[in-house]
Amino acid sequence: MSNDVTENPGATEVTDVAVAPPLSQRARSFAFAAIPYAVAVLAAFVVVGIIITALGHDPTEAFRAVLTNSFRNQTGFVQTLHKWAPLTLLSLAFAIPLGAGRFNIGGEGQMILGTVGAAAVGITMSELPMVILLPLVILVGILAGAVWAAISAWLMESFKINEILSTVLLNFVSFEVLDYVASVVWSDPGAGGAVTLPVGEGAVLPGIGRPPMHTGVLIVVLVSVVAAVMAKRSVAGFELRAVGLNERASRLHGIRTGRVAVTSMVVAGALAGLAGAIEVAGVHQRTLEGVQSNFLLLGIIIGLIARGSLTAVPFVAFGIAVLEVGAGSMQRVSGAPVEIVLILEGLILLFLLMSDVATERFRRARASRAAKGALA
Amino acid sequence: MSGIRKTFGPVVALDGVDFTVAEREIHGLLGGNGAGKTTLMNVLYGLYAPDSGTVSVDDREVEIRSPRDAIAHGIGMVHQNFLQVDVFTVAENIVLGTDSSTLTAADGSSQTPAQRITELSERFGLTVDPSARVADLPVGVRQRVEILKALYRGARILVLDEPTTNLTPQEVDDLFSSMRAIVDDGMSVVLITHKIRETMEVCDRMTIMRDGRWITTVDKADTTADDLAATMIGEVAGGDAEAAALAEAAQVALGEEELGEATLTHALPGAQKAPSGGAAAGTVTHTPARVTVRGLTVAGSGGKPLVDDVSLSLRPGEILGIAGVAGNGQGELAEALTGTRTATGSLVVDGEELVGRPTATWLRRGVVYVPEDRQRDGILPGAGITENLVLGSHRTRSRAGMINWRAARSEAVEAIKEFNVKTPSAATPCGQLSGGNIQRVILARAFAHEPTLLLLHNPTRGLDIRSTQFVYDRVRRAAADGCVVIVISEDLDEVLALADRVTVAYSGRLVGEFARGEANPYDLGRLMTGVGA
Repeated sequence: MSNDVTENPGATEVTDVAVAPPLSQRARSFAFAAIPYAVAVLAAFVVVGIIITALGHDPTEAFRAVLTNSFRNQTGFVQTLHKWAPLTLLSLAFAIPLGAGRFNIGGEGQMILGTVGAAAVGITMSELPMVILLPLVILVGILAGAVWAAISAWLMESFKINEILSTVLLNFVSFEVLDYVASVVWSDPGAGGAVTLPVGEGAVLPGIGRPPMHTGVLIVVLVSVVAAVMAKRSVAGFELRAVGLNERASRLHGIRTGRVAVTSMVVAGALAGLAGAIEVAGVHQRTLEGVQSNFLLLGIIIGLIARGSLTAVPFVAFGIAVLEVGAGSMQRVSGAPVEIVLILEGLILLFLLMSDVATERFRRARASRAAKGALA
Repeated sequence: MSGIRKTFGPVVALDGVDFTVAEREIHGLLGGNGAGKTTLMNVLYGLYAPDSGTVSVDDREVEIRSPRDAIAHGIGMVHQNFLQVDVFTVAENIVLGTDSSTLTAADGSSQTPAQRITELSERFGLTVDPSARVADLPVGVRQRVEILKALYRGARILVLDEPTTNLTPQEVDDLFSSMRAIVDDGMSVVLITHKIRETMEVCDRMTIMRDGRWITTVDKADTTADDLAATMIGEVAGGDAEAAALAEAAQVALGEEELGEATLTHALPGAQKAPSGGAAAGTVTHTPARVTVRGLTVAGSGGKPLVDDVSLSLRPGEILGIAGVAGNGQGELAEALTGTRTATGSLVVDGEELVGRPTATWLRRGVVYVPEDRQRDGILPGAGITENLVLGSHRTRSRAGMINWRAARSEAVEAIKEFNVKTPSAATPCGQLSGGNIQRVILARAFAHEPTLLLLHNPTRGLDIRSTQFVYDRVRRAAADGCVVIVISEDLDEVLALADRVTVAYSGRLVGEFARGEANPYDLGRLMTGVGA
């Protein structure tokens, strides 16, 4: 229609082109983008507050416990960082393939394989000195996760098998692998469950401060920075985004889209494997049933709240880590069950998606009102 | 129809349009892209509700809320895209959705639907076999099915939206005589078109629209093609120079190219036929080929290849036009020629064999593809103009795996100025731009590759005259710089206007070859339907 501005006579002269919209406009659009987050978080807290009240507990007390536990003392903060590390990695493992339009729902399987690989090296070569053993533990953990994801990537690329299905199903296989390793191969007879023997002393990540924070946190900080920079500036990041935005156009412009998608899955597996290795070398000193916690689900929630932005993931992950660590304290103080926190996290995402719809409607209504005003 | 107004958000598509079609007349509805012709008729057919204005049929004001209402008032419309069930027969498609749910005689009727279809098709010269499967029919016949569908439902006013787009000249002649038979029977036909030649050929009266407004309604006897062209383009800002610059695109858009005697010199003072690449044809005859294609073949899923043994030899600066009706393997050919689809055979650019190499290598050798479907194949709609301009050259412009975005942004600003892209900023998502501006971004990217072989597929489809002329100018300039250009287009006029050499795509093959000036639309038409091959 006549909104094609080139049709307006005399309007073809382009005098000046901005590289980006002016700062005021960008600030406004940032504020506009921030509103849905604020509304979603607020609404989630309100609903959860109602639920807590209905359960017969005091919501203010519960929320105070959830939100302050991480910052009241050193222990809470270190706990939060220890949660943050695997959460960030699992979120990246979801968000990176998401950039290319692929869904990796196999983060926990890849992480479990990471713990198995790391523990295997840590147990069988326990006599090696730390300078050799610790890098080896981490590396094998990464490789194990990458290989696990590569299975799905290969099935996806060679046989067009949906990666959602294959990654989810491989999670179940990984549970059995973990069970076999922890209760048959290197089972700890004294533990009374599916728990392996401890890894050698050289396989343990050194701690910093008091209470000690394991240095895996620093590795994750480094990984987060690298991931954010790569996504923004690198060829790989650009190709990943391009494939996600328009796979056909990307292919027609020389991007090997299949290779990009496979690489994104394998990198995701490697990061989940790293998370497993860090859990073994930094937290448990072994692997055990349940080591994956619910990091997969939380990783997906974080990745979606961050809208796939690798820069935003570590920050969102920190917020979720605060809630997760605060959950136990909330139960002790107010009696509200820990699961309340998961409801809260899910609702934040749900309300965020709903407010997306709402802001889009609002924007359209405003645009059409403005148009009508212009005509009058 | 009087005082019809229709807005889409901030865009005023129709602004108080009056339109009357009389009994027994073929009424041409003329206008450029975006003039509002189709929108106006969609209002008549009940697809859009007007914001204001009234519609009257036989002097009675009626309210048309849906196509069903329109059909009840005897209004039928044939759109550019047919809505047909491929696996059904012609008869089944025609009765689909009518009350006669079976193909046997309805109660109280003397005719079976099949008999009625046969009778209609004989009466109006719309030859079609009622028992043929629609999927097996060529576009021209499917269009007849669509017209029969409207007539079968009792249409007295028939609206045809750009019906000649995909037809060969012979099929156009057939269609026009059917239209004449229909109005001779006491009905009315509205022909939506942007080709003046067609209206002068077949219409009794024509209404010209521009920018959503009614401009004028004239009898054919009282006007000339020149007058119509002038009215259609309207006042061109920028004076004679710009009018001259637009003259050629206007000619092509209006289908004036082969009218010969009807030039636009009268309408646009100072207009001259733009210098064409043909001038170079004589001088480059003896230069060696820059692009050589031999036996290029794309296998199909069945036994029949999609692209069948295509061979070409192209000299620097040459513009090859490939005409043809849509669906004769043009898309596959375009992709095979640009290394974006697996093919066998040979394609040599500047002495280097490219078949079998990855697309990125083709791009580095300057093989650049401007695809037909701009939204689907040409851009990353959610990414900014800068990123879209970087696409394809992102590897060559990177150092140590990192892209210099600062440089890319300043280059983008330059490209936006040079190619006159209308955009708030270089960061604006490409998907928010208009079709013409998207094409400008794609061309800016294409020329940044310094092409040796530039392939354009339907490069001006849906563009306004200004953007069309822009594309032509750019293509000629590239050819003048020694680039080999291949233009694949379903618009025969466009092919004839641009190309030094014309060939026709038919069923995956290239058939016939004409030098510039020797090509006759009817000869090409025969090749396009496979008759003259």
